[in-house]
Amino acid sequence: MAEIDAVIHQPVRLKIMAALKGLPLNEQIEFVRLRKLVDATEGNLGAHIQTLEQAGYIAVEKDFADNKPRTRVKLTKQGRRAFEDYVAHLRDIIRDTP
Amino acid sequence: METPVISPEQAADALKQAAAAEKRSARAYRYQRFAPYLFLWGVIWVIGYGASDLIPRWSGWIWLGLILGALAFSILVGRGAEPSRPKSNWRIALSFTTIWAFIASTYAVMAPVSAMQQGAFPPLVVAFFYILLGLLWTGPRLIIAGVAVGVLTLGGFFYLPQHFLLWEGFVGGGALILAGIWFRRV
Repeated sequence: MAEIDAVIHQPVRLKIMAALKGLPLNEQIEFVRLRKLVDATEGNLGAHIQTLEQAGYIAVEKDFADNKPRTRVKLTKQGRRAFEDYVAHLRDIIRDTP
Repeated sequence: METPVISPEQAADALKQAAAAEKRSARAYRYQRFAPYLFLWGVIWVIGYGASDLIPRWSGWIWLGLILGALAFSILVGRGAEPSRPKSNWRIALSFTTIWAFIASTYAVMAPVSAMQQGAFPPLVVAFFYILLGLLWTGPRLIIAGVAVGVLTLGGFFYLPQHFLLWEGFVGGGALILAGIWFRRV
């Protein structure tokens, strides 16, 4: 049995990945909206986003909109695959339980 | 990072959390996509019904201009939101055209006898469309918006007939604008 993905297997990061998976392919979400969706504090979300970005699971884009700094996040192809594998692994654990 | 060992109960709990987060995100996205259209039609109702009450002689032309403008705006909004999916813009444009074609065909067949009946029918069709769309796809907020539009329209029609068009413009249109603001929130 494959090992569980420790990057995703953390409550806030799992919610981030699932929330991004809920969007259409290549769709970005603003940091502020994501924070409300996963119900995390700004600092907490920032730290987890960094971990996921370092793993190559999400892509972060920073720019300016209406003269205000804006951070947008999206799931990468690698991240989508990793999340699907993670979910499949969880299902295997449940199914394989006698 | 250490590889965690998890029990079937923990796996089930993680799956449940993931499914809930994914569903919430998908629903919030659909609401966000719908918000500009609610806002747009709210503004159109304020102008259109306001004009129908205040300058009825010109209301036909004003409505025609508003509907064509709305159609163009809807395509532009769709293009801006999803440049990679041009088909969805045409779907939105065709949906609006279908609704207005249905309303025009019904007028042709049923021939409303008063401006009030003529004014009440489109909001009722829109309410029906919102409720159906909410039930089948978008989620409960659209059902609430549809019920609000329907109830406000019927309330104005039966209890405020002398000011119905103004009522529909400012209360019905205002409700749509408020719904548009609500839909943008997570």
